[in-house]
Amino acid sequence: MYNPPMQVGASAAARTEVTRRRLLQSMMLVTAALALPALPPGALAAPLNADQKTTLLRVARDIYPHDDLLDDAPYQAVLDAILVEAESSPEVADLLSKGLADLEQRAQHIYKANYIAISKPEEREGVLRTIELTDFFQKIKGGLLMGLYNNKTLWPKFGYDGSSWETGGFIDKGFDKIDWF
Amino acid sequence: MTAKFDLNDDSLVVIVGSGAGGGTMANELAQKGVKCVVLEAGNKLSLDDIENDEWAMFSKISWLDKRFSAGGWHGARNHPNLPAWIVKGLGGSTVHWAGVSIRFQEHEFKMKTTNGEVVGANVIDWPITLAELSPYYDKAELKMGTTGEVTGMPHLPWSADFKVLAEGARRIGYSKITAGPMSINSVERDDRPACQQIGFCMQGCKLGAKWSTLYTELPKAQATGNCEVRTNCMVLMIEHDKTGKVTGVVYADAEGKTQRQKARVVCVAGNSIESPRLLLNSASNMFPNGLANSSGQVGRNYMTHMTAGVYAVMPGEVHMNRGTAVAGIVRDEAHNDPKRGFVAGYTIEKLALGLGFLSAFLVPGPTGWGRKVSGALEKYKYMSGVWICGEDLAQEQNRIELHPTEKDQYGLPAPVVYKTDHPNDTNMRNHSYQQMEKIYNALGSTEIYNLPAYPASHNMGTNRMSEKPRDGVLNKWGQSHDIKNLFVSDGSQFTGSGSPNPTLTIVALAIRQAEYLAGEMQRGHV
Repeated sequence: MYNPPMQVGASAAARTEVTRRRLLQSMMLVTAALALPALPPGALAAPLNADQKTTLLRVARDIYPHDDLLDDAPYQAVLDAILVEAESSPEVADLLSKGLADLEQRAQHIYKANYIAISKPEEREGVLRTIELTDFFQKIKGGLLMGLYNNKTLWPKFGYDGSSWETGGFIDKGFDKIDWF
Repeated sequence: MTAKFDLNDDSLVVIVGSGAGGGTMANELAQKGVKCVVLEAGNKLSLDDIENDEWAMFSKISWLDKRFSAGGWHGARNHPNLPAWIVKGLGGSTVHWAGVSIRFQEHEFKMKTTNGEVVGANVIDWPITLAELSPYYDKAELKMGTTGEVTGMPHLPWSADFKVLAEGARRIGYSKITAGPMSINSVERDDRPACQQIGFCMQGCKLGAKWSTLYTELPKAQATGNCEVRTNCMVLMIEHDKTGKVTGVVYADAEGKTQRQKARVVCVAGNSIESPRLLLNSASNMFPNGLANSSGQVGRNYMTHMTAGVYAVMPGEVHMNRGTAVAGIVRDEAHNDPKRGFVAGYTIEKLALGLGFLSAFLVPGPTGWGRKVSGALEKYKYMSGVWICGEDLAQEQNRIELHPTEKDQYGLPAPVVYKTDHPNDTNMRNHSYQQMEKIYNALGSTEIYNLPAYPASHNMGTNRMSEKPRDGVLNKWGQSHDIKNLFVSDGSQFTGSGSPNPTLTIVALAIRQAEYLAGEMQRGHV
C-alpha cells in the first residue's frame, strides 16, 4: 500500500498569504510576452522618469475611464503601490520600463506621436488593446480593478452601499420600493 | 458532550467533507446513534468572521488550492486556476450558496427516456424517480427551513430588484414568477432569525437566517455525542484491505502530520472535484485506476449547469444590492421542449452582484476593461441582472483528471478540470440571452450585457449513480458498485444535473442515504 508523502500542512496563515496573488492570477491571462523592442540591458531597470510616470497615469485612466466621476488620486494610489514594488523588484521595474517603451513604440508606429499626445480616447484605447494581453498591462489592470472597484471610499460615488448588517440590513430601508414602471 | 474517537476505532463512519452532503450525513447518522467522524479540509469560521464584503469573503472561504481549468470553455483562458467557485471551510459550500431550493422535475430524472440519445452526450436516466425522492425532499425542506407549502413558511418579500425582473417577465408573457422556494428564514425558525434583507448571502449569512450545515447540522450532530468534527484535516487517500473493502483514510491534520483514521464505512462528500480526485488518488495495486472505478467513470461526466449572466441598465434606480442575493426566480423556461433548439430547460434567477464582483465579471478576464466596462459600472444603481441556470448534459470528456506533474500543498497531484460546452448548452444559453433581451427591452432598457459562465459553483456528476455498474460509479443509494462500504454523499452522485440548484437534492439524497446506511449497518451488510 502506498503511503503518500506529506509536504506542507494547510495552515490558515499560509493560505491567506497566497490568496490575493492566486486570485489575481486566476483573473489574468498568463501570456507569452509579446515581442518587445531590443533595447540595451541596464537602461531598462532604471526608475521611471517624470514623463513616464505621467504616461502611466494616462494609461491607468484609459484602462478604466471615469472622466467626471474620479480624480487622479485613486489611480495614482494604485500606481504608487506598483512603483514602490518596482523599487525593490528589478522584475517589476523592468516590466514597467519595457512595457512603456513598447507602448510608445506602438503609438509612434500607428499615430507618429507619443501615447500621451494621442488626443482621442478611443485611439488611445485602440493602442492599449494591442498590448492588453501583456504582463505589463495586466499588472496595472489588476491593481486598478481592486483599487477602484474594491475601494470602500469610492463606493458612494458609484451608488453602491457596501456592508449593511451593522445597520440592520435593508428590510426597513425601502429594499422593496420601486416606482418607475 | 462532544465525542472524541480513537484513530484505531474501526466501528466508525468516516465522512469526508462537511457541506450539504457530508454535514447532513453526519447529523442524520448521529441522530440515529451511528458514530461518525467528519474530516473537513478547511477552517472553522463563525458568524463573527463573516463580513459583508465580496472580495474579503472570497479570500476567507474559497477553495483556492492549486487547480487547473481546461477544455473549451472561456474559463480555461479567463479563470485558469479557478475552475470552480466553492468553499474550503466548515459547512462547505452551504456557507456560500444562495438558498435556492427547487426540486427536480420528474423528467429530469429520466432524460434518456424523455429525449433519447443525444449525440455527443453521455446521458442516462437516474436509477431513482421523483416519486422515490419526494418524501426525502419533504424531510429536506423541513430540515433546511425552505419557504413554501411543506414548512408553511411564507416566501420572502419581493425586493425592488426582483419586482423589476418580475415586471419584465410578466410583460413578455411569463407567469411562473416566485420569490421562492428559498432556504432562508422569512420568519424566525429553528432558533435562527428571519432574514433582514442584508444582501451578501453568498459571502456567508451574517445572521444565520440562511440554512448552512455550519450552524445547523454540524452542531446538532455534535450535540448527540455521536459525532466528532475535525477541521483542517485534508483526506489524502482511502485505504482498503485484501478483500477490497475500505478500512479507513489517511489524512493530513492541522499541523500537517499524516494520520490514519480507521473506519467501518467511508462516505466521500468533498464536492465534485475533490471527491473523484480522492478516489483517483487512492489507486492501489488492486485498484490501479482508482477506487470504485471499474466503470472508468470516476471523474467523468462532470456537469456544472449551463450558466450565463445578463445585466442591464434600467430607466430608473434599482439598487440591486439591497436585499437577498437571489430575490426570486422565473421558471417559464424550465420545461423540456426540444422545439426551442435544445433539450432540457433553464431557470432565470435574480442575482445581485456588488460593485466588486460586477467589475470583475461584467467582462471577465484580461480583456475586461475600457470605457464600455467603466461606463456601465458608473450606472451601478440602475443595474439589474440575472443568473441563468440550466441543465448541463453529461459528456464523458468533461472530467476531473490528475495533473501529471503539478502537485498541491499536500503533495498530491493537482486536479485538472475539463469542461467544454455541448451544442445543447450553446443553444440554451443563446435562447436565454434572447429571452432576457426581450424582458429588459420590455422595461425600456437597451443597454444589456451578456456574461459567460462564472467559475462553477454547481459541480456535479463525477461519481454518478447508475442502474448498471458499467455506466456509472454508484448504485441508487450512492453506494459504490464495486465496494460495499464506500459511499459518495455529495453532488458528484448526480446522474443528470437537472435545472434546479443542487443543494436541496444533495440534502434529500443524504437523508435517504443515511437511512439506508444505518439500516445496512444494523443488518450487518456493511
